[in-house]
Amino acid sequence: MLDILKISVQMYLPELICVGLMCLLLVAEAMHKDEGTDRSKIYILATAGLLATACALMMNLHIKPTLGFYNAVVIDQFSTLIKLILVFGTLGSLWLSKSSNDIYSDLKSEFVVLAIGTLIGGMLLASANNMLTVYLGIEILSILSYVMTSLKREDSTSTEAGMKYALYGGLTAGIMLFGMSHIYGLLGSIQFTELAPKIASVQGTDLVFLMAAFLLFFAGLGYKISAFPFHMWSPDVYQGAPIPVTAFFAIVPKMAGIAVLIRFSNLFFSVSSPLSTVWIGLLHIVAALTMTVGNVTAIGQDSVKRLLAFSSIGHVGMMILGIVVLDEVGTRAILYYGMAYLFMTLVAFWITSVLNDTYGTDSQAIFRGLIHRHPSMAIMMTVVLFSLAGMPPFSGFVAKFNILSVVIEKKYYGLAFIAAINSVIGLYYYMKLIKEMVFSKPESTEMVPGFTDGTRVLVVALTLPVLFMGIFWEGLMSLSGGAKLFIQ
Amino acid sequence: MNGLLNWILWSPIVGLIALLVIPKGNDNAIRWTALVSTAFTFILTLVLYAKFDQSIPGMQPDFLVKMPWIEQFHIFYSLGIDGISLPMTILNGLLFFLCVPASWTVEKNIKGYFALILMLQSTVFGVFFSLDFFLFYVYWEVMLIPMFFLIGVWGGENREYAAVKFFLYTFFGSIVMLVGIIALYYATGKGVDSFNILAMHGGKFSDLQVNIFGHDFSFEKLFFWAMFLGFAIKVPVFPFHTWLPHAHVQAPTAVSVILAGVLLKMGTYGFLRFSFPIFPAASVEYSGIIGTLGLISVIYGALCAMAQDDIKKLIAYSSVSHMGFVMMGLSAMTTTGMNGAVLQMFNHGTSTAMMFLLIGVLYERSHHRWIVRPDGSKGFGGLYTQMPKYSIIFIIGMFASMGLPGLSGFISEALIFLGIYAKFTTMTVLALIGLLLGAAYLLWAFKRMFFGEVAESVKEYDDMNLREVAYMLPLCAAVIVFGIFPAPILNIMKASVGQLVDLLAKY
Repeated sequence: MLDILKISVQMYLPELICVGLMCLLLVAEAMHKDEGTDRSKIYILATAGLLATACALMMNLHIKPTLGFYNAVVIDQFSTLIKLILVFGTLGSLWLSKSSNDIYSDLKSEFVVLAIGTLIGGMLLASANNMLTVYLGIEILSILSYVMTSLKREDSTSTEAGMKYALYGGLTAGIMLFGMSHIYGLLGSIQFTELAPKIASVQGTDLVFLMAAFLLFFAGLGYKISAFPFHMWSPDVYQGAPIPVTAFFAIVPKMAGIAVLIRFSNLFFSVSSPLSTVWIGLLHIVAALTMTVGNVTAIGQDSVKRLLAFSSIGHVGMMILGIVVLDEVGTRAILYYGMAYLFMTLVAFWITSVLNDTYGTDSQAIFRGLIHRHPSMAIMMTVVLFSLAGMPPFSGFVAKFNILSVVIEKKYYGLAFIAAINSVIGLYYYMKLIKEMVFSKPESTEMVPGFTDGTRVLVVALTLPVLFMGIFWEGLMSLSGGAKLFIQ
Repeated sequence: MNGLLNWILWSPIVGLIALLVIPKGNDNAIRWTALVSTAFTFILTLVLYAKFDQSIPGMQPDFLVKMPWIEQFHIFYSLGIDGISLPMTILNGLLFFLCVPASWTVEKNIKGYFALILMLQSTVFGVFFSLDFFLFYVYWEVMLIPMFFLIGVWGGENREYAAVKFFLYTFFGSIVMLVGIIALYYATGKGVDSFNILAMHGGKFSDLQVNIFGHDFSFEKLFFWAMFLGFAIKVPVFPFHTWLPHAHVQAPTAVSVILAGVLLKMGTYGFLRFSFPIFPAASVEYSGIIGTLGLISVIYGALCAMAQDDIKKLIAYSSVSHMGFVMMGLSAMTTTGMNGAVLQMFNHGTSTAMMFLLIGVLYERSHHRWIVRPDGSKGFGGLYTQMPKYSIIFIIGMFASMGLPGLSGFISEALIFLGIYAKFTTMTVLALIGLLLGAAYLLWAFKRMFFGEVAESVKEYDDMNLREVAYMLPLCAAVIVFGIFPAPILNIMKASVGQLVDLLAKY
């Protein structure tokens, strides 16, 4: 028993670093209270901790896939890569929160602690190998998210968003647990690896109940990744939450939820059975509707945060396309998509945050004539928006290309055409924002104060991968190509 | 000589970088850098012409460039040139070179303007050189970005609408094409040649079937149409032409020239390089539809042009009409017709560029383009008396685009008619009406603008200055020389076009 624990703890090092970091930060924060509003020490500590986590994850990239803690978690290359995306997403939003005025300065250290806590939930989800771990991960992720949404406690939209999020989250978590209990009742296990072979032998009416149970389970995940029809909360939450929190939500919970969905789908439904047919059909419909609803609704949005929220729903729909195919190539495409999406989202939110701090609103009007008032910011935003729309030579195009190509490989031409149409719709609303920035005359010629020196370097450093990943993407593709799911 | 295509492709980018390091405010330095860069590129294209071996039907082996880009997907940085792309390459070099002096008077953010122009030039070369489908698609799409900003920032009053419409329309066509490209990648078996355009030539996909939502379709037909959409929007063929008048009218002069002169040709080039050789059976089967759409474009474009009060819009619609001739020539699938079509691509490039440049010259003086103003009064009048040099050049350009014997347009149109007559006789006769209409709208516009009493406002106009005459002369020479002696261009395309016609003749 000790042996198992020893091995498990060893490979679980990244998570443990995070947990240690979170405790350390709580203590540091408490001791720090008297020293005014300067929180830079907290940030340095958090950055160091997260970088250490990233290093530990990198080392895990090369170990053999293993099960730990009596099969509760699995560490494989796939989960490690997802965790890397999560860690860098967290790091990015932390640094964004440092320069943002959207979070009260005396609450910044609380945000850091909460974000790292949420990250732990996300990492748990990425390597979850049984139903309870999934539930635990989702709950850690959700409960801390509710608090983060309401961080702007004197702002009514923020508290309203938190309330909405909590109500929605509570309901779907309940539904999910209900579904899990049915799965357990029908199959007698909560371990993914034990469940997978049992599914094939289910017959008759049990099959119907099992399908219903899986649908209920999907509700919980669908809510976390804001897939249609469980996406309703996300625009309000995105708009209400402070911008660094929104950026965080756009990356971490989504990628974690998608990781579970990938593992779950590949484990249970990659062999042909009546259940798989239904599940694949479900994913087809969910993917098509998620994309379409997200993109079409984004057209009419004036608030940039809301626009990015809807566009992220659209991107989730694209990523689900990679799950529909249920194979390693699809997983590879999603991993690349996730990496591309990470950088694009961070830069888009960062620039929105800078402007939001200057003008106190996130309406599209604040972007008007940005090219005259802060050229470099406008150029970076343009690059990122073109990339989000899937224009070459940016990373968003390669991401889109990979997803389309896995879908076409499976000969789902209908889905491919729907995705193609969606990318035209996407281009339209991104282009409207670009038009506002570059074509329109600014109302005042006053320059935007822009970045402080440190953030300028960071934003440029985040924008460059958007360009380079669109041209030199071979290395990243082989990296994600090696990310095989561990199936016992 | 291996690197010549690389040189041509990347020298605008080098120019762009040189331009970006010039500090703001040195307007003349920026203009001259752009001029030198485009002149250098143009000379390189002439060198390419000189080194070109006219007897080789396919890609010129001396100029092939092939380097791995994404090996995992078998994507190559692969360039080549043959007799179909060479005329377009020279045209591209020439028109961009002339566009720089034509943009000398641009005042707004000169650096950004010329940087985008040079970026555009490089991507257009990329489209004509690419022998790898992925590379082609990247260039095809990236090209939209500089166009979008050139129209949207430096355009006329309604430029935002025009830029967005242009971008969305083309993007829609190309994304559908992307689905086709990926489908071809899998149909060829993901092998080392699966993005190789030349390896796909020859009708290898006629037996495949695809299933969409439970219905079976022929792979060849379905993806022929997917590609058709992408290219037809670019040409543009009726009914996909609606973006063109807006884009043309709003675009600054030089951008209109490039749009009509080279960008439209990318659509018809797409048919020649991709649709026809890759899907020959479907192309032959649907040649009637291609020809009919071409015919409708010819007549409809001419009628629309006749109804315009804005001279730039008139020329924009005349482009729709003339590109319709190219489509008709392509649908003939005979040596004469195809040669005519490729020659028409080149000739339309020079003559329409002349017209747009001339309108630009006039606009700089008048700041309006009304033949008849909305209130019914004449926009111009007596230009002939006031600006004789301008009028002579205008007459040359107008007659060339009308297809007067002795000027370039005549030969290509005659070849197209000869090529198509045996196959689509009725269509040929109907297309002659288009030719007649073409003469009518141009002459009518000419009469209203150049003859009659000299209007008060016209009296202030100066005739063309030296710079303006200088950049018009090469085009005048081109329309006259190639009108009398088209052999230099016909000879380079003959072998390549012949190869394509032979392939199509098998179906």
